[in-house]
Amino acid sequence: MQLNKKYTKWGYIFSIPFIIAFLIFHFWPLASTFYYSFCYLKHAGNTNPEFLPLIGKPLFKNFTEILSSVSFKDAFKNTVFFFIASFIPEWILAFWLAATITDRRLRIKGRAIYKTAFFFPKLVEGTTVSVGGHLLSGIATFVGMTAAAFAMDGFGIMPEDLEFFMSVKFFIIALTVFMHFGITFIYVIAGITGIPVEVFEAAEIDGANRVQTFFRITLPCMKPMLFFITVVTIVDGLGMNEIPSYFGAFDTFRRNLTLMMYMQNQAFLGSYAYDRASAASVLLLLMFVAIAAVVYYILLYDKDEAKLRKAKRAERKAMKKGA
Amino acid sequence: MSENTITNTELKKKEVKLKIIVYLVSVLLTLMILWPIIMMLYEELTVGTVVAGPYGTFIEQEPTRYFLTQHPFRDLAKNWARFTSDHEGMFIGLKNSLIVTIPSTFFTVYFSALTAYAITAYEWKLKVVFDKFIIVVMMIPNTVATVGFYQMVYKIGMVNKLSMLILPTIAAPMTVFFMRMYLQATFSKEIVESARLDGAREFRIFNQIILPMLKPAIATQAIFAFVTNWTNSFVPSIILIDMKVKTLPLIGGGTIWYSYASFVPPIIVYAFFSKHIVEGIALGGVKT
Repeated sequence: MQLNKKYTKWGYIFSIPFIIAFLIFHFWPLASTFYYSFCYLKHAGNTNPEFLPLIGKPLFKNFTEILSSVSFKDAFKNTVFFFIASFIPEWILAFWLAATITDRRLRIKGRAIYKTAFFFPKLVEGTTVSVGGHLLSGIATFVGMTAAAFAMDGFGIMPEDLEFFMSVKFFIIALTVFMHFGITFIYVIAGITGIPVEVFEAAEIDGANRVQTFFRITLPCMKPMLFFITVVTIVDGLGMNEIPSYFGAFDTFRRNLTLMMYMQNQAFLGSYAYDRASAASVLLLLMFVAIAAVVYYILLYDKDEAKLRKAKRAERKAMKKGA
Repeated sequence: MSENTITNTELKKKEVKLKIIVYLVSVLLTLMILWPIIMMLYEELTVGTVVAGPYGTFIEQEPTRYFLTQHPFRDLAKNWARFTSDHEGMFIGLKNSLIVTIPSTFFTVYFSALTAYAITAYEWKLKVVFDKFIIVVMMIPNTVATVGFYQMVYKIGMVNKLSMLILPTIAAPMTVFFMRMYLQATFSKEIVESARLDGAREFRIFNQIILPMLKPAIATQAIFAFVTNWTNSFVPSIILIDMKVKTLPLIGGGTIWYSYASFVPPIIVYAFFSKHIVEGIALGGVKT
C-alpha cells in the first residue's frame, strides 16, 4: 500500500492528455453550443453571439421557434422511427447469428470469413453511394417481383400493401442495417467469446437449453460489452445523417429528414441560423442523455454496490458524530 | 440406457437442423452483402462514363485507358504524367486524408490506452469520478457540438488547418471505455510491480508491457478509428474550404480511381489488423 502511494500521481499524469483535449475540443464546443442556443446568431460567418434577453427577446425564443416548426417535428418522428426500425432487426440478427456461430456444440466453421464479409460495407463506406445504389436496385427488383407474383396470384395481398417496401424510408432502414450490421456482429462476438468456457459447460451439464443459456448466461455475463454495443447503436442511430442525406438534403415531403440533418441544414446548408441549430443540438443532447441514463441504469448500475456505499457513508457519519 | 440414446439422436437431429439454418443464413447474408460491392467493382471496371448528349440522350464513353496503352512499358512515364495531371484533385485528397487519418488513428488508440491504464492501474482520488465521467461523455457524440466547434475554429483562426481534425481525436471516450473493459480483464498488478522492482519507469511499463497486452483491443479500435476518420465528411466539409486542404470524401470524382483511392486504404488497414481483432475480452494476459 505504502509502495503504491508513490505512484498515484501517475494516474493524474496519464490522464492529462485526454482531459486537455476533451476540455478544448469537446467540452468547450458543447458549452458554447449550449450558450448559443440562448443567443441571436445568424448569417454566414457571424461569430458575434448576442444574448437574447439583452436584445429584448424572450430567453427561449430559439427553442419555441424550433418546437413549433413542422420540419423539426417530422425530423424527430423520422429519427425515432429510423432508429427503432433499423436497430431491432439488426440486433436480433446479430445476436442470434453470433450466439449460434460461437456455440461450442455446433462448431460452425468460417467465422472469420463471415466477420470480414459483414464488416466489408463499413470498409467501402467511402463509396456507399454506388454500393448503396446496387443494393437498392437489388431490393427494388426483389420487391417488384414479389409484388408482381402477388398481383398475378392474389394471396389477398395487393401491390399497394407493399408500397412501404418501395419508399425512401424503407431504403434508408435497409441501407442502415446493411452498413451497421457488421459492427454490432463483431462486438457481440467479442463479448460472447470473452465469457469463460467453464460457465457454458456448467450450464450444459445443468441441462439448460440454448434459449435459456443465451438469456440467463450469455447476456448477463457480457453486460459491459452489451452496454458498449447499446451506446454505439444509440450514438450511430440517433445521430444518423449520412445515409438519409444520400436521398437529398432537402426533401419536400421531409421523408428522410433526421434531427442531425435538420441541425446541419439550419447551420450550414443555406439558412446559417446557428442559434436555431444550437437549440436543435441541445434538444438532441437532452434526448441522448435521457436515453443514456435509462440504459446505464438498466445495464451498469449496481444496486448492491450502491447500497454498500450508502451503508459505508452512514457508518462514517456515525463515527464522526461519535467522535 | 435406450431412452438416453433416443433423446440423444433427437437432439442431434435438432442440432443438424439448426446448423443448416445457421449456415444458410450466414452464407446468404455474406452473398447479399458482398453482391452490391462486387457489382460496383464490375460495373466500374467495364462501363465507361456516361455523359449527357444532345436532345436528352446519353452517350456512353469508353473508359479512359491510362496504363494499358499500345506500349505500356515504354510509355509508362508519359502515362503516369497524364494520369497524375488528370487526377490532381484525387492526389491532393489522398495526401490530406492520409495526413489526417494516420495520426488520428494513432492518437485515438495510444491516448485511449493511456487513459484506460490510468484508470485501471492507479489508485488516485478522482479515479471513480473520472471513470463515471467517461461513461457519461461517451454517450454524447461530437457531432452534437458541431456549431460550437465551428464557431471556435473560426474565432481562433484555424480554418483550413488539418490539425483541427487531428487533435480532437486525442479524447475518444468510447475507445477509452473499450480499452478499459479489456484492460480490466487482463491487467494484473503483479506484472507491473515486478517491472517496478526491476527499475522500469512508469512510461516504459506502459509502452513495453501494457501496450502489447492490449494488442487485440488496439487492433479492433484502430480499424474502427481509421474507417471513421477516413470517411468522415461532415466536420471536414465545414472547416476545410481551400481546395488544397480538402480530404478525399470532400472531393469525389467521376472515375473509378476515386473509388479505389477511397476504399483501398481501409481494406489494407483491415487486412493488417484483422488477425488480432478482439476475440474474447478475457483472453490474453494472466490466466486465472
